[in-house]
Amino acid sequence: MRKLNKLKAVISLCLTLVILFTTEGIAAMADELPYDSYNYDYRKYIHFTPAPYIPERTITGLDFTYNGEPLGSFKTPQDMCQAPDGNIYIADTGNNRIVVLDSAMKKVVKIITTFNNNGTEDKFNNPYGVCVSEKGNVYVADYKNKRVVAMDQNENVFLIIDNPESESLDDNFAFNPLKVTVDYADRVYVIAQNMFEGIMVFESNGQFTNFFGTINVEISAWDKFWKRLATKEERANQQLYIPTEFTGIDIDPEGFVYASNIDATGVQGVRRLNPRGEDVIKKGFNANVGGDLQIEGSSDYSGASQFTDVVYRDKGIYSCLDRRRGRIFTYDHEGNLLYIFGGRGTQQGTFTLPVAVEDIGGRLTVLDATKGEILCFVETEYGRLINEAVALRYDGDEAEAVALWERVLELDENNELANTGIGKAYLTAGDYEKAMFYLELGMAREYYSIAFKRYRNQILTENASWFLSGAAVLLVLWFGFKAWKKRKKGEDE
Amino acid sequence: MGKYFSKQKWSYLFYTISHPMDGYYWIRHREYGSVPLAILMVILFSFSFTANRLLASFVVNDLDPRGIDMLYELMGVLAFYLLLCVSNWSVTCLMNGEGRLKDIAVAIGYGTVPMTFVMILSTIISQLIADEEQAFYGILIGVGIAYGVIMMLIGIMQVHNYTLGKTLLTLLITIIAALIIVFLLLLLSNLLGLVYNFFHSIYTELIFRV
Repeated sequence: MRKLNKLKAVISLCLTLVILFTTEGIAAMADELPYDSYNYDYRKYIHFTPAPYIPERTITGLDFTYNGEPLGSFKTPQDMCQAPDGNIYIADTGNNRIVVLDSAMKKVVKIITTFNNNGTEDKFNNPYGVCVSEKGNVYVADYKNKRVVAMDQNENVFLIIDNPESESLDDNFAFNPLKVTVDYADRVYVIAQNMFEGIMVFESNGQFTNFFGTINVEISAWDKFWKRLATKEERANQQLYIPTEFTGIDIDPEGFVYASNIDATGVQGVRRLNPRGEDVIKKGFNANVGGDLQIEGSSDYSGASQFTDVVYRDKGIYSCLDRRRGRIFTYDHEGNLLYIFGGRGTQQGTFTLPVAVEDIGGRLTVLDATKGEILCFVETEYGRLINEAVALRYDGDEAEAVALWERVLELDENNELANTGIGKAYLTAGDYEKAMFYLELGMAREYYSIAFKRYRNQILTENASWFLSGAAVLLVLWFGFKAWKKRKKGEDE
Repeated sequence: MGKYFSKQKWSYLFYTISHPMDGYYWIRHREYGSVPLAILMVILFSFSFTANRLLASFVVNDLDPRGIDMLYELMGVLAFYLLLCVSNWSVTCLMNGEGRLKDIAVAIGYGTVPMTFVMILSTIISQLIADEEQAFYGILIGVGIAYGVIMMLIGIMQVHNYTLGKTLLTLLITIIAALIIVFLLLLLSNLLGLVYNFFHSIYTELIFRV
């Protein structure tokens, strides 16, 4: 008995040690990252996931020298853009210059402070936005000079957009461009301050054509009712119903414009605008592309996510940058949330005021205005698996994605996208029982129903003889019972 | 007729379900009903209701199982049953209703049986249906609930010897009475809480001083 106790003690000690060491390892891993990675499940519960992206490095202006001179730190940089040749253009707003880095962000290629404006030397005044067209021309939203400047690679200006005139514009309207982007036909899309009608579109010759992607104000019947009751003075004091402004813009290879906007209700923080300016984004089963789903509370840190920039990445995947909580939300083309990571703070790898996000060579790169830093995030295995699997699904190769989804499940057991992906593959392969199992875990009701229907038919056809003979036996028994009862009744009488 | 759960009472329960007009009449006038049996039926209804919410197939069921608590729902159903009986009784007392509290309890309790039956049946059937066949499931439940409600209506009409119009009118007043009872209960509990707090603070004060 005593020996047994000793054995027990030894075993329990070993177990304790094992648990201690393994848990310590996990804790250490979690501690390395300054933020949580999570996702929302079908019931909008938060479930924590492995990190899809981890901070790789932080770049400040102090890291660089140009022509032997130190570059100096960035001062409230506001925008960042990758040119077709790979160079990265940073709008160093506070220093009134555009800094061009090479694609590896190791050295400065050039600094644009002055440019040739029809023979005269001209300067920027708070350049907020920068964009490089497919032809390599640089478009700068020169905020305080109230103009958009377009120049070629040698800083020769060929187009200046200022004082746009149109019947649809107010006479005393001030043109304060914040963000600019250019499509394949050199049409210029400008987000201007206090321009609630939408994104301004200019032809390649600088002529204002129209507003694009106007966000309609939705007033509920309840609000209308109160408006009606209110007196004129009360109405004057009430908040105006103004549509939200756009904050960031990106164009995908098909010519669709992705534009982020701030939605106080947290339902739609990003739009996908077709060439006619209509929103064609898919919002997934939550009917939500607005960032966080749990936004209760009244502190500074709570409330709906505020998307300040959006980047189209590849295969229908796009990422949105939330400046309220410093998180990056990544969606696929169906509007499913793929992963969420990032956070606000002062540690390395966190943001204080993130303003722009860009996908540079597979790395998610975020520009922080207050810190004047560029933060690079590199994908982990978890992030890579999801990106690749979603890309395969986008191309229609769901069967090929199964291996990737299975690996995702090993890392994150509750990943509903992975379960649904595997379930759908089994459904096409004809293994309905397994398909039902995975589709239920993935909460994909429609596909589950399809799988169930086929499974039911399979069972019915396989066992048709049993069912039919069973029914026949029951019928015979029933009539026999009736006849027996009748006879008994007759006997009794 | 026998005691509470005797065979006759059971068979009369099923007779009442198929012949509510006649059944409830004799429940009022010949003591054919059984209050404990009625309460048992209400409890069974509560269980079947929870079972439907928990066990109905994934195709028709979008509820979060974490939010379903069988005992909690039992309490709710029983409290609602009590509230309905008491408020109906207190209203019909003033409106020349002939029914006693136990008749009302039986009328409502027996009325839950079709609902219980349909809840169990639909839970089983839900395991066999796909998305497009959801309508059958919905209709089945709807029919069961409608039958139960009609049974309760007939039951209340018969035990009080009312016309249909008067039954509906008393039911409307019953709902108002139920709301008043709930309001009074909340008020009472609130006031009792204040009284309790008063004595509790005196107690703590004494404890600190002594």
